[in-house]
Amino acid sequence: MNSRLSSPRINLGFNSFSGLYLLVLFIVVFGIWTPHLFLTLATVQSVAAEQATTAMLAIAVLIPIAAGAYDLSVGATMNLSTIICVWLQTVRGWSMWPAIAVAVGACVVVGVVNGFVIVRLRVNSFIATLGMASVITAVQDIVSGQNQPNPPTTAAWTNLTQLNVAGFQIIVLYLLALALIAWWALDHTPAGRYLYAIGGNPEASRLAGVAVGRYTWYALIASATVSGIAGVFYGSQTGPSLTFGAGLLLPAFAAVFLGSTQINPGRFNVWGTMLAIYVLAVGVKGLQLITGVQWLAEMFNGVALVGAVAFALSRQRLAESRAAGRTDDPVPEVSDSGASPAQEPAPVPSGAGDGG
Amino acid sequence: MARGILTPLPAGGAAEPRPALRIRRLTKSFAGMVALAGFELDIEPGEVHALVGENGSGKSTVIKILAGYHRPGPGGEIEIDGTALPFGSAPAAHAMGCRFVHQDLGLVLQLPVVDNLYLNSGFASRFGTIREARTRRQASELLRRVGLDVDPRTVVATLPLAQRTGVAVARALQGEDHDQVRLLVLDEPTATLPENEVHQLLGMIRQVAADGVAVLYVSHRLDEIFRVADNVTVLRDGHRVATVPVSSLDKRRLVSLLVGDELGELPSPGPGGSGGVGAALSVQGLRGPGVTGVTFRARPGEIVGFAGITGSGRESLLGMVFGAVRRLGGVVEAGGRPLPPYDPRAAIAAGLAYLPPDRKTTGAMMDLSARENLSICGLRSFWSGLLLRRTAERAEARQWFDRLGVRPAGATEKQLATFSGGNQQKVLFAKWLRLSPTVFLLDEPTQGVDVGTKAELHRQLLSAAAGGSTILVSSSDLEELTALCHRVLVLRAGRVAAELGSSSVTTASISRASLGGPEVLTA
Repeated sequence: MNSRLSSPRINLGFNSFSGLYLLVLFIVVFGIWTPHLFLTLATVQSVAAEQATTAMLAIAVLIPIAAGAYDLSVGATMNLSTIICVWLQTVRGWSMWPAIAVAVGACVVVGVVNGFVIVRLRVNSFIATLGMASVITAVQDIVSGQNQPNPPTTAAWTNLTQLNVAGFQIIVLYLLALALIAWWALDHTPAGRYLYAIGGNPEASRLAGVAVGRYTWYALIASATVSGIAGVFYGSQTGPSLTFGAGLLLPAFAAVFLGSTQINPGRFNVWGTMLAIYVLAVGVKGLQLITGVQWLAEMFNGVALVGAVAFALSRQRLAESRAAGRTDDPVPEVSDSGASPAQEPAPVPSGAGDGG
Repeated sequence: MARGILTPLPAGGAAEPRPALRIRRLTKSFAGMVALAGFELDIEPGEVHALVGENGSGKSTVIKILAGYHRPGPGGEIEIDGTALPFGSAPAAHAMGCRFVHQDLGLVLQLPVVDNLYLNSGFASRFGTIREARTRRQASELLRRVGLDVDPRTVVATLPLAQRTGVAVARALQGEDHDQVRLLVLDEPTATLPENEVHQLLGMIRQVAADGVAVLYVSHRLDEIFRVADNVTVLRDGHRVATVPVSSLDKRRLVSLLVGDELGELPSPGPGGSGGVGAALSVQGLRGPGVTGVTFRARPGEIVGFAGITGSGRESLLGMVFGAVRRLGGVVEAGGRPLPPYDPRAAIAAGLAYLPPDRKTTGAMMDLSARENLSICGLRSFWSGLLLRRTAERAEARQWFDRLGVRPAGATEKQLATFSGGNQQKVLFAKWLRLSPTVFLLDEPTQGVDVGTKAELHRQLLSAAAGGSTILVSSSDLEELTALCHRVLVLRAGRVAAELGSSSVTTASISRASLGGPEVLTA
């Protein structure tokens, strides 16, 4: 039994990887439909790069949500970072690195304030960060005077994200690095475990000696910091805009929730989130190539967010009813332990249709 | 749907009276595994029939089939008052007069009794407006049927637990026609009740039965069965082991039927507290919610029990010692060092362990795996080279699974929520045992846990005590206290009212001391 249990935790079951199969399906269907447009390396490269900042923002959403705290200010924080960084360079004539440092530093402050309001003042995270988003937008208007600053023209600034690495923009590598770090922090450090424990049951975590307030605070600072970094990259890749942040918030949340049904179902996780981002992106891209309409992204993201949450809830209900049946039934225990012992919580066998 | 009055009496000379509940050849399998095999049961009107068995023996399966939640295998029959019960339909079960009260009562605590009674079935109303006076009269009538004398306007949260259960029973019995109720199923109604309230609830149950209702009573507390039931059916591994009149049994015999083992005896403590002279834990003048001043000391190796009725301060005492609940005054010293008033981390660092009374809300992260729950307090030992060493973590979790006999064996990666209650409790025990604490604070440690698991947990506690740990047990289960403790402190009105040494600890002496003196009744 021991050897069976310590086998690597890889399970290519539909339950954990339905998104991957959906991705393959998209690629096959769109590939057959419009081979000359869709099945090109250029499409792969552009989708990978276009989604990189959204994916980073999704990581920013993911970290506090693991601990049960919603950070709705990430979009505004990201936008603030872009504007500060660009404004310092083009309006105040700063060089790139100090401007980046100040922009990200400002976002760290946002995280600290979020943490203070949520942990110390005990304001519900939803309310606190919703309010914070509004305050940040106001601060951004003060800084910029509501004038969109011109993008810096230095090569260093554009190369920061658009440098070509094997055909891909270098920002794709940044995303990969960031995802690896987030995965390590959430899945392979005590801090990450504490965050999931807090998300699971804050009071039980406190009674087990977890510093609930402190780790929630850390998570919110990490979230704002990642948002700030994503904002700098957005400025370099796409150029400054006064309003883009709010529009990225929903796709990021959709990816995080959809991602919680993937890879490690029932838990907010990094690779599930990344998978979700790109499944959605490929679906949108393919349909746009075919139909040429622009509203697809919004439609997809909205449906994905609500669908993923509904799906996760139904999965939870099923797991609960099974657990309830179990309290006195010897039976499912046996059947389950035989099925997939190495898998993390795999509550539902029928992981079929998900929100995508 | 036949009303009581219209039901034809059995024809004269009929061989036997028709039972209220008649179950024949009931089987149920899950995924090819037998949960229930050829189960049979008869309950006469007015009979209280206890159904006992360890966790996993099939009790819940029987109840869930009755309630229309599960469908039985082919060949099974259930008759209610002579009429076949259609399977798999909750409304049908209800229409035929089956009523269920679960351990989770499903009451809205913030609302008055009367609202709780009629939320489901609808209020007496005229033109959509609730007729307050009439509804209240009906409610009082209903409450009297279960022998409950409370004002229907009382908010449920202010009632003692037994009376809340009574309200749930009353709600189950109500309907447009009371005579419809044939069968009342009570699933562990006393799991969280203190001794004196159990008495009150058992009285209510007898009253309901006296009205001609058949009562199926499920409980882990064996002494209650002797007090309330006429007959008892014992289930083991899905098989009916025995159906016997309670009067023909004694407790020892019942335990051996349950465990299937003549040696199924609960362990008992050795001569405790010999370990050291100094106090491992010293509490002076402790004050806080419900506690007005408690002072005691406990030596290494000693098992100290805490008893007391609801509101005596017993419920919050251990949480306050640990720092789970903020204490308002007094000093708690562990190993001679004072503990801060509201800081579980400091308490754990000082060698304390605390098992809260309610697994779901404060005890465990139900959505996390058993392994993650087990290791949460001591993750540092798996943290090396910038990685949490999951292989080592899993190996240790498996060791604890083996040591405590957690079922399913080796399933350390499964969500804690998917384990049965007793196994969840074992995992939470292991979580603290692995830290080798010097002081265990245990609130209702074996609540809703079957006899076998309870014995296993008690064995672990006794061995921890033998190893020099101090163990404080707060429990509403007096048998547990008498079986386990070297001495028992009885709380009353927020203070220690009596201390019972090992020679004088009996359930009766604890009960007496708990109630002692002039009782202040809360209306």
